[in-house]
Amino acid sequence: METNNFSIETENLSLWYGDFQALMDVSVKIPDGKITGLIGPSGCGKTTLLRCFNRVNERYGNVTTKGEIKILGKNIYDSDISLLELRKTVGMVFQRPNPLPISVYENILFGLRIHSQFRSLTRTQSDEIVEEALTSVFLWDDLKDKLKTRATSLQLEQQQKLCIARLLPLKPQIILMDEPCSALDSEGTLAVEELMSVLAGQYTFLIVTHNMAQARRISDECIYMFLGELIEHRETQALFETPEHPKTADYVQMRYG
Amino acid sequence: MNRSDPIFHIIALIILVLVFFLIWNFTNLIPDAKGGNTADRAVQDTLSIIYGHLYKMIPICCVVILLSLAVAFFLEEWLPHKSLQYRIIERIIAILASIPSLIYGLLGIYLLVVPADKVSYYQLTIIVSLLVMPYTIQSTQKAIQGVDISVREAVYALGANRWKVITGHVFPHAFPMISGGILTAISRVLATAALIIVVCDWKIPESNSTSSFGFSSSVVVLLLSALSLSVLSSLVAKNVNHINLNGIV
Repeated sequence: METNNFSIETENLSLWYGDFQALMDVSVKIPDGKITGLIGPSGCGKTTLLRCFNRVNERYGNVTTKGEIKILGKNIYDSDISLLELRKTVGMVFQRPNPLPISVYENILFGLRIHSQFRSLTRTQSDEIVEEALTSVFLWDDLKDKLKTRATSLQLEQQQKLCIARLLPLKPQIILMDEPCSALDSEGTLAVEELMSVLAGQYTFLIVTHNMAQARRISDECIYMFLGELIEHRETQALFETPEHPKTADYVQMRYG
Repeated sequence: MNRSDPIFHIIALIILVLVFFLIWNFTNLIPDAKGGNTADRAVQDTLSIIYGHLYKMIPICCVVILLSLAVAFFLEEWLPHKSLQYRIIERIIAILASIPSLIYGLLGIYLLVVPADKVSYYQLTIIVSLLVMPYTIQSTQKAIQGVDISVREAVYALGANRWKVITGHVFPHAFPMISGGILTAISRVLATAALIIVVCDWKIPESNSTSSFGFSSSVVVLLLSALSLSVLSSLVAKNVNHINLNGIV
């Protein structure tokens, strides 16, 4: 896939769940290597838009999509696009930490094993990959002696970091985050936010959040959505301090939502 | 030791075999009133009844169980749940599963076995399918539905295709419940077989090739096996959340 200044571009993207239209002509450009926040009241289509970018929402069967989505310059609905490769390029972190109920070690290698031949990795290679991934998310020191521990027995913050670490061996270029801190306490939230800030230059982050303070703290750009429409997309500081649209102003000044 | 570990299954199987041989030895030790070897003959009769049909039953059960698993996975993983086909098939399975195994056993005797005067593969397959399939399909469906959706989504999001999600994630997670369902279904077959032997002996005594002692010990062995399998299945089902999934891909 070729690259340009935008990791994700959509053009008149509309989406229906059966008869219900969840997205209406959304056109957006997500810059490369930055953190972009998606904010808006519940049910405004933030998560739906996020899930379009790795085509996870198609699993539900009754989804109809119209318009164009380009990831790294390539239309993801082209016939030559491999869904497996797309999901390798576009990683996703979910609202609730969802490590697989296997060891920490196996969690890190899980994605890699899906995309490579069985037992194609030597033990040394596997060890290096696991150490590198855990080091990237600042978990190595805590977990280096617990690699055989079941991942579901870790603290929630560690589980969520592990879910991010699980993506890294696949070398994704975009990481989608669907309210990744909603299940974490303030310390866990801070730890994940710091991790995102450190990784931001290497990966493009798109984060859905209900926490406006968080959106303001960590995102470079912010998108405000309302009832399936993209209302405003600007630099975070500008969007929060001088919103152009009255609906955005109402939301960021907490008049509703 | 976790009771859902493979080692537990092996030990449970060994216990079942031991119970079987204990019963065998027990019947050997019963003294014969006339000083003859009736007990030995009874054991031989019992074993001939059980092993006589075992070579037919095992392959049939294997095929029927595999078919049931295929149907359950097709229904849950491929067919849209809102589709008409799904609803029709699910309703039929629910009706078939709700019929007591006694009815199937009696139907088997009066519609298939008695008129034909001997049991063929064809007849056995129909009876075993009716006994095993609906229950196994239903329990497998429930096991698949019980797999955590968020983890399933995570596996999809990592790039796994449907086949890898099923083989690498859904099946290992659902396996304890699936195996519990299969064991219960087999125990239903054994219990029904015991019932059939009782009814046959009562209704058509001239066709009974065994002595009354062999008949009653066959029934006891079948009922004990059914009970053991039923207990084993409940133990397996209790440990659904503790399966060890190391190296599942």
